[in-house]
Amino acid sequence: MAPLWVPVVAAMLRVVLGYRIDGRAALRHRYADLWRTRSGPLLICANHLTMIDSALIAWALGSPWWYVRHFAAVPWNVPERQHFAASVWARVLVYVMKCLPLTRGGSRATVAATLQRFTHVLAEGDAGLIFPEGGRGRSGRVDVDAAAYGVGRIVRSLPGCQVLCVYLRGERQATYGDMPHRGDRFRVHLELLHPTSSATGVRGDRDVALQIVRQLAAMEQQHFDDRQ
Amino acid sequence: MSQTEVFEKVVQVLSPYVKNQTALARLSGETHILDDLKVNSARFVDVVLALEDEFGIAVADEEMDSVTTVGDAVSLICSKLS
Repeated sequence: MAPLWVPVVAAMLRVVLGYRIDGRAALRHRYADLWRTRSGPLLICANHLTMIDSALIAWALGSPWWYVRHFAAVPWNVPERQHFAASVWARVLVYVMKCLPLTRGGSRATVAATLQRFTHVLAEGDAGLIFPEGGRGRSGRVDVDAAAYGVGRIVRSLPGCQVLCVYLRGERQATYGDMPHRGDRFRVHLELLHPTSSATGVRGDRDVALQIVRQLAAMEQQHFDDRQ
Repeated sequence: MSQTEVFEKVVQVLSPYVKNQTALARLSGETHILDDLKVNSARFVDVVLALEDEFGIAVADEEMDSVTTVGDAVSLICSKLS
């Protein structure tokens, strides 16, 4: 039953909220190719502007019916517990929707435990989606200084992990917010990355996290250059 | 290096990351780095890297997870130095 919520969410995004994704077919084709030919765990790392970015990215990367047949390709994500999993019912619902709620700013032991579960599902062959900035960038731009080391730790603990960097932005998104404007049209950029570091321990984690966030910052720059 | 010297250096390293200056003024080994000093959790890794540089040590991920108070940091560093 779990995959059946995917078409419902897609219909809400498309019909109720009126969102459009530029070049959607090409994006989906590329993700399907990447999924079919992947040689290791796949982690999607994206910029973060609104509370529904993970749904928009999943929708951009695959059709509902493709996801029903390839449910492992629907990325797990780690939403803020306070926003998405405040009650038991909400927690059950978000789990079915492939979310592992995380308490941002919580004790590092609980954060580490959630990230460990997230790492486990990736190791088992499911896709994962994480926002390396840790939260929605208050400036509306990718904040390299906000790079959380956790993403580096995940990548380094998964041998052969491929990172798909995704930059998503609506035409009317000037800054961060809860929801994009109704009827907004989104442009999505993809870059595949294989971040590595010769450093060990925490320094290596930080190194990998910075490579990913810098890639997102470069994609953002490209996004704005393309628009001019 | 004595434990007191380590403690003082840890406080020096921590200071630029501390948002709660009141807690910093009455800091002890029991002071919680994130909850009391309000060090940003995303910046905690920078604190650990600064401590690595300061003391010439390497901290593993699991060791970092075990550090919650200033005293934890001092104990970890002392154990590595010894």
